[in-house]
Amino acid sequence: MITDITIGQYYKTESLVHRLDARMKIILTILFVVIIFLCKNYLSLALMALLTVVSILLSKVPFKMFLKSIKPLLLIILITAVLNIFYIHKGEVLFSWWKISVTTGGLSTALFMAVRIICLIMSSSILTYTTVPTLLTDAIERLLSPLKVFHIQVHTLAMMMTLALRFIPTLIEEIERITNAQKARGADFESGSFLQRVKAMIPILIPLFVSAFRRAYELSFAMSCRCYHGGEGRTRMKQMRLRWPDFLALGLFICVMAGVILLNHFFGAVI
Amino acid sequence: MESIILETRHLTHTYAGGTSSAVTAIDDISAAFYSGEIVGIIGHTGSGKSTFIEHLNGLLKGSNGVVLLEGKDIWANKKEIRKVRFKVGVCFQYPEYQLFEETVEKDIGFGPKNMGLSEEEIARRVRTVLGYVGLNDSYLSKSPFDLSGGEKRRVAIAGIMAMEPQVLVLDEPSAGLDPRGRTKILDLVRTYQKQTGCTVLLVSHSMEDVAGLASRIFVMNKAKLAYFDTVAVVFSHAKALETMGLDIPQITKLFERLKENGYDVDTGIYSVDAAHKELLRLLEGGARR
Repeated sequence: MITDITIGQYYKTESLVHRLDARMKIILTILFVVIIFLCKNYLSLALMALLTVVSILLSKVPFKMFLKSIKPLLLIILITAVLNIFYIHKGEVLFSWWKISVTTGGLSTALFMAVRIICLIMSSSILTYTTVPTLLTDAIERLLSPLKVFHIQVHTLAMMMTLALRFIPTLIEEIERITNAQKARGADFESGSFLQRVKAMIPILIPLFVSAFRRAYELSFAMSCRCYHGGEGRTRMKQMRLRWPDFLALGLFICVMAGVILLNHFFGAVI
Repeated sequence: MESIILETRHLTHTYAGGTSSAVTAIDDISAAFYSGEIVGIIGHTGSGKSTFIEHLNGLLKGSNGVVLLEGKDIWANKKEIRKVRFKVGVCFQYPEYQLFEETVEKDIGFGPKNMGLSEEEIARRVRTVLGYVGLNDSYLSKSPFDLSGGEKRRVAIAGIMAMEPQVLVLDEPSAGLDPRGRTKILDLVRTYQKQTGCTVLLVSHSMEDVAGLASRIFVMNKAKLAYFDTVAVVFSHAKALETMGLDIPQITKLFERLKENGYDVDTGIYSVDAAHKELLRLLEGGARR
């Protein structure tokens, strides 16, 4: 149950997308979001869908992993589509009852929105499936480093993120261990009213917090012992370097963006 | 012979069964524990000891085989599984991390409270077990988080003892304690067993700890039950134990070496007393030769 959490899920395999620089992947993902909102007709949307499919194929991550990432957001996609069907009044009226009417324009917008959201989810999934969480936070730190001008502690924030991600599996293990220990003392988590069940969590939560604080202290001591003093003058074990595939990917995205703008210009807008 | 209290028959547990990454954590384990005995459970890290004990109180259900408590399958009635946990009290490794109440009294009383006992009965049990673990009544109102490491450990063990289980399973009760703390814990296990007459299963890495306490030893190796016999018989397989990554008591090693050097000695020796007798026998035998 608890081990199903997919935060920062990484799919280990060898592929072109995996090897791309993490910073470039973040930039490309943002670019993707921008372009998909530029799309005005089905042709340009199809081009973006094609780009998504090509990226998925290049990443060598099984397609069913992407279906899994859409599943939790299915409800949001459906609600968006349904709202669009009822709120957009354009084109022919297909069906009308009381104050509700369904138009061709509404249906078309609903479909357009659904495809757009699905593409968005998939593209961001490509990023998390192909990039190790620590590398991702590292890349975010690098990309945000200009904010240092405004005295924002970018390094500290990134380190906090890295540590938080690192400790998710540890804490999950801890929860399981504590749950077992309390069950062995006859704790009952399955029966009783809602309030009773919430109360039954106390024997798990208190030891969990105690151990989380203990770990935090130990970790900070261990970091101090290794002379950790923040980001000032700190070098990296893995230097990030942009290589030609990164620029090739960027080039591809820019071409797609140009394509989308051209298609928008020459063919009528649907939305 | 005494009666069998807890028994496993062909107990097998496979994690992620059916998939390619399936791991068999325990494989076809059949063993019987008698009431009132102390059994030492030993095995290398990852040999399946912990998985095995999680089956004994129904935290895990075997993919095959059964666990019988007083001759009855513990999974016969799913809803009654909590009652099994009161009869087979399992105290996991580093139990001090399960403490959560404001006072020692409330924490030890958590198990008995879950059993639905009366306030007076809980109060009585808490005081009794506090005595077993060598702490006095002044601890009752203290916060468990203010105690020292060894005291926390003893309070946590008391929390299991307070359920008055028929079988007490202790997973590495002396792990991470200094030698004095270790002796103390092992002593209290012995006293507790003598006073209550219940069965104790002691999981440990340390052969010396187990040898001094248990009457029989249960050795696990690579998910399988390797030996389950009296201490002397198990230690006489010293070579095999060492290939399993287990350490045998120093004194047993000495007799191993004597045997290698051509002396006709019994290698199942693990206590100073037995060693003394055996050496005397050898000396007299030598004089005879």
